[in-house]
Amino acid sequence: MRILLAEDDELLGSGLKAGLAQQGFHVDWVRDGVAAERELLAGDHQAVVLDLGLPRQDGMVSLRAARARGVLTPVLVLTARDAVAARIEGLDAGADDYLVKPVDLHELAARLRALVRRAHGQTQTQLEAGDVRLDPVAHEVWHRGLPVELSGREYDLLHAFMLNAGRVLSRDQLEQHLYPWGSEVASNAVEVHIYNLRRKLRADLIETVRGVGYVLRANRSSP
Amino acid sequence: MVVSADPAARIGRSLQARLLATVLALMGTVWAAVAVSTWVDTQHELNELLDAHLSQAAALLVTQRLDDLEGDDFPPLPQLHKYQARVAIQVWHEGRLVVRSTQAPEAPLAPAQTAGLSQQVVGGQGWRVLTAPGREADVVIHVAELDSARQHILASSLGRAVWPILLALPLLALGVWWAVRGAVQPLRRLGQAVAERRPESLEPLAVSEVPREVAPLVGALNGLFGRMAALLESERRFTADAAHELRTPIAAIRMQAQVAQGADEAPERAQALAATVKGCDRAARVVEQLLQLARLESEASQGEGAMRRGETSADMAAGARGLMAELEPQACARGQKLVLDAGEAVAVMMPAGLAQVLLRNLIDNALRYSPDGAVVRVSVRRRPDERGGCLVVEDTGAGLAPDELARLGERFFRVVGSGQHGSGLGWSIVRRLARLFKLDVMVDRSDTLGGLRVTVTWLDEGQS
Repeated sequence: MRILLAEDDELLGSGLKAGLAQQGFHVDWVRDGVAAERELLAGDHQAVVLDLGLPRQDGMVSLRAARARGVLTPVLVLTARDAVAARIEGLDAGADDYLVKPVDLHELAARLRALVRRAHGQTQTQLEAGDVRLDPVAHEVWHRGLPVELSGREYDLLHAFMLNAGRVLSRDQLEQHLYPWGSEVASNAVEVHIYNLRRKLRADLIETVRGVGYVLRANRSSP
Repeated sequence: MVVSADPAARIGRSLQARLLATVLALMGTVWAAVAVSTWVDTQHELNELLDAHLSQAAALLVTQRLDDLEGDDFPPLPQLHKYQARVAIQVWHEGRLVVRSTQAPEAPLAPAQTAGLSQQVVGGQGWRVLTAPGREADVVIHVAELDSARQHILASSLGRAVWPILLALPLLALGVWWAVRGAVQPLRRLGQAVAERRPESLEPLAVSEVPREVAPLVGALNGLFGRMAALLESERRFTADAAHELRTPIAAIRMQAQVAQGADEAPERAQALAATVKGCDRAARVVEQLLQLARLESEASQGEGAMRRGETSADMAAGARGLMAELEPQACARGQKLVLDAGEAVAVMMPAGLAQVLLRNLIDNALRYSPDGAVVRVSVRRRPDERGGCLVVEDTGAGLAPDELARLGERFFRVVGSGQHGSGLGWSIVRRLARLFKLDVMVDRSDTLGGLRVTVTWLDEGQS
């Protein structure tokens, strides 16, 4: 899952990035409010961790601007401003969650997962598509009740497909889900991972839509 | 509410009671003066009138021949009017009382040689007596009136005028009390409005609703409310900023510690632990600066007197020399060069410890916000005019944009993109010290090094 982190503090930012990476997130880190707004508008991330006291532009301003432009990405505000008025202002400005520093890494990760889940209309912790089941907390996947060993990328790809079940995803979109900035992406990387998923799970789980991309059909399960 | 135990003091402080007492005292005095002057006037007029009556009566008697009056058995003159009893007539002939009226005493009303009007006491009573010679020789006529009769007429005529006034006085007092009460009502309402305020409501009172005389008070109160609101606002901002400055390193420490806990590989763990230690250092520095600021503020609130009592003189040059030796390793680590330009001792009137705080904040800031390999030059000199000293800290860093220069000294102001973890508290401390010890701090661009230049100047004691 790809997360945008907007935090100007070097020490906290590097800690958040490393900690969230341990929890299985891919983190892109920006250090000021203008960059945060730009990335929010680009919409490449499944969720955003936003500090408010950012240089160049307050995080609240970035958030309002993004929401005004119709950005629906779930945003978790992580700030030192603990006044009730500030919390209300943050939530009303379009934040989906509001945490006051300092925060527990595991709680932050859990809240991010919950935000992403809700953003995709899911209320169950585990995602299901036919006979395939995915647990975002444990990072585990089952097929017909049996655990399946997936690589990190394969898991991320499957997670993206299951969150967007029934929706066609282009190769560009999938790459954005998979790779943080600065990663070297081989031109056929996505195809390779999809091939592996079909092989490890089910051949017809992910369909190719010619010229557009790929889609996971949740309702078609093999007998 | 302060309630005085002494009722006299309370009345003295009550506008209403004071106005009431003053108005009533003035009215009473005026009325008394009018009454006295009326009394004197009326008495005078009455005397003239009654004296005229006496002389008329005397004139009538004078025209009578003595034979007409005289008789061995002359009847006393008849009483024709009730007031006549107060009038007495005597006619003397050759020392013998020839005729007298009913109420007239036997004794002569006045000595024989008296002439005209006189005041006599006969038979224990005061008489107003008109003495006139008769038509014939050796005849003396006294026509007299009792003084008490005159006083009675005077008293009854004036009494009628005085009584209503005495009765009116309490009514008037009531009226004045009511009017004054109405006049001070706006003050009462104002007091109530202020008393009923919640402590956090600092919006101004409406000036249009109070009388003109009270408007300055309301204006002053509104001014006070404004200043208090500004103070509260700055305190709230400070609390929010301080929270941010403390929470952020603590959040970082926690996060890095958890990263270390969850790290699978040794290098990752080592890196996270190193970052944890760095976070602790930073938090410690913020705490230290907050404490310095709090100490300075409490000393400032105790007044400059308390500050100056412990006043000593510090040598700024020696302080800079010592501190730079201490900071040298830190500068070396980033390839920065510290240059000191100082000669003889330069005295500044502040405790040595606080001079050290000032120097540390300035030099530390310069090192922190300058890039690696920068030069920081510190010079401590006497002022060119020899009236004080001058400390300059300048660097080869990027300097500050004009709007950033303007924001210097706002607590927690940091320079964006400096890549350094300063809390910006340093500037607040410098400004605070400057205010306490009358130092002049100026920030601009260094002519020689191109970076930021901070110039602190001060005057020797007794110079101004």
